[in-house]
Amino acid sequence: MAEARIILQGVGKRYGALWALRHVDCAFHAGEVVMLIGPNASGKTTLIKSLLGLVRPTEGLIKVNDEVIGSDPAYRRAIGYMPQISQFPATLTIGQLLEMMADIRELGKSELEDSLVEELGLAAQLDKRLSTLSGGTKQKVSAVLALRTRPSILVMDEPTAGLDPVSSKRVLQRAAAVRDTGGTVLITSHLMEEVESLADRVAYLEDGTLKFLLPVQEVLERTGAKRVSEALPRMLESNAMSNIL
Amino acid sequence: MLKVFKYTLIDLARNRFVLGYALLMLLVAQGLFALEGDPTKALLSLVQVVMALVPLIALVFTVVYMYDTIEFTQLLAVQPMTRSAILGGQLLALATALLLAQAVGLGLPLLVHSPTMAALVLSLSGSVLVLVFAALGALIALKQREKARGVGVALAIWFLFVLVYDALLMWAMFTLSDYPIEPFVVPLAGINPIDLARIMVMLQVDLAAMMGYSGAIYKNFFGSVGGTVVAALILLLWIAIPVLLAFRVFKRKDL
Repeated sequence: MAEARIILQGVGKRYGALWALRHVDCAFHAGEVVMLIGPNASGKTTLIKSLLGLVRPTEGLIKVNDEVIGSDPAYRRAIGYMPQISQFPATLTIGQLLEMMADIRELGKSELEDSLVEELGLAAQLDKRLSTLSGGTKQKVSAVLALRTRPSILVMDEPTAGLDPVSSKRVLQRAAAVRDTGGTVLITSHLMEEVESLADRVAYLEDGTLKFLLPVQEVLERTGAKRVSEALPRMLESNAMSNIL
Repeated sequence: MLKVFKYTLIDLARNRFVLGYALLMLLVAQGLFALEGDPTKALLSLVQVVMALVPLIALVFTVVYMYDTIEFTQLLAVQPMTRSAILGGQLLALATALLLAQAVGLGLPLLVHSPTMAALVLSLSGSVLVLVFAALGALIALKQREKARGVGVALAIWFLFVLVYDALLMWAMFTLSDYPIEPFVVPLAGINPIDLARIMVMLQVDLAAMMGYSGAIYKNFFGSVGGTVVAALILLLWIAIPVLLAFRVFKRKDL
């Protein structure tokens, strides 16, 4: 097994009386893509936000690259994040935004991977104001921001939502490339068919609880299904994972 | 912090609301000076406009801008930078943009039509009110999750400072007119930053004489060096306390 890059130990998050995450213990390794799935309000986004430092867990701890995350933001240097909703300062141009983010990370041109700008058709639009972009183009900008810093941890929340099929494929190929170079990729998506070919393991969350975290192959073997999207309902109905929990 | 400040300011420099604010102030100030032959009278009318409009615009604009940029703030918060740097940069940019708009809209007409000490104090008071109410706006936006609720709280606070507080003060003065309450009027007026700013300008145009015994007390206290320092300190606290609270809230906030 490759080194554990992200470790969650007893992580829980409570909003008022509601526990959005309950005692999550798991590890995500170098060189793998993990697909986070679960129904709405199952805790996927809270898990991701806890890892990113956007949400402060009520209990437990999270380690990234062997360091417990806390007030020091330096660990985020390794992370690329593509959020579900892409909203940027309205009057900045795409070029200014890219420059700003590189500036914040103190990265020079040679340290950035900008070929995706060209690949996603953004090169000719760098002078366009962000307020004038369609939702899909904003998603492309978001993908570029997440990937151009060559992250060793890539977190993507519904990365293909709003993207055309060609762009979706390109973005997912880039995610696969991060994995292939030893990175860790976490993806949440409702479009399981799109993402499952990429995934090495599947994490299923429900009511804030991590029900299982299994290799894709094992999920398929246990259920006799050919795809994760078919396997999941079978697993949940037959409670096939109860002996794993 | 400076990087967030720089790009937020670039964004705000093209913001229609900020440009509209500069234009509105310019039109109002120019209009008043054009309609009123006596610059002192125009200045007095402008005082009333500034004391009502500036807090409203600074408060509402800050609240709305902070809500509208929440997703981008999240994106900044996942970069290797502290939350203090993010909020510091954003607040500094908001304050700078509003102050620049005010310098153009209010400062320029004052400089052209009424280059007096009273105009300078009005300009400075207006700037301080921008900072006070932008700070309050940031705190409201960070404390309230919903935008509509945040804007509602902002409007209620503006209403309280601009109308309700003065109405209560006047009611108290009228009801208790048989008692020597004037010594209490100074500290009570000092609590409200808008009243305090207004008093500082009024003292410069020597209207305190028209304000009766209360005016004399204001003049005795705020007209002195010590009183001016106290007034400045109170206004500074009105900026510092909301800003410090906003940093405290933002550091712990789930985004």
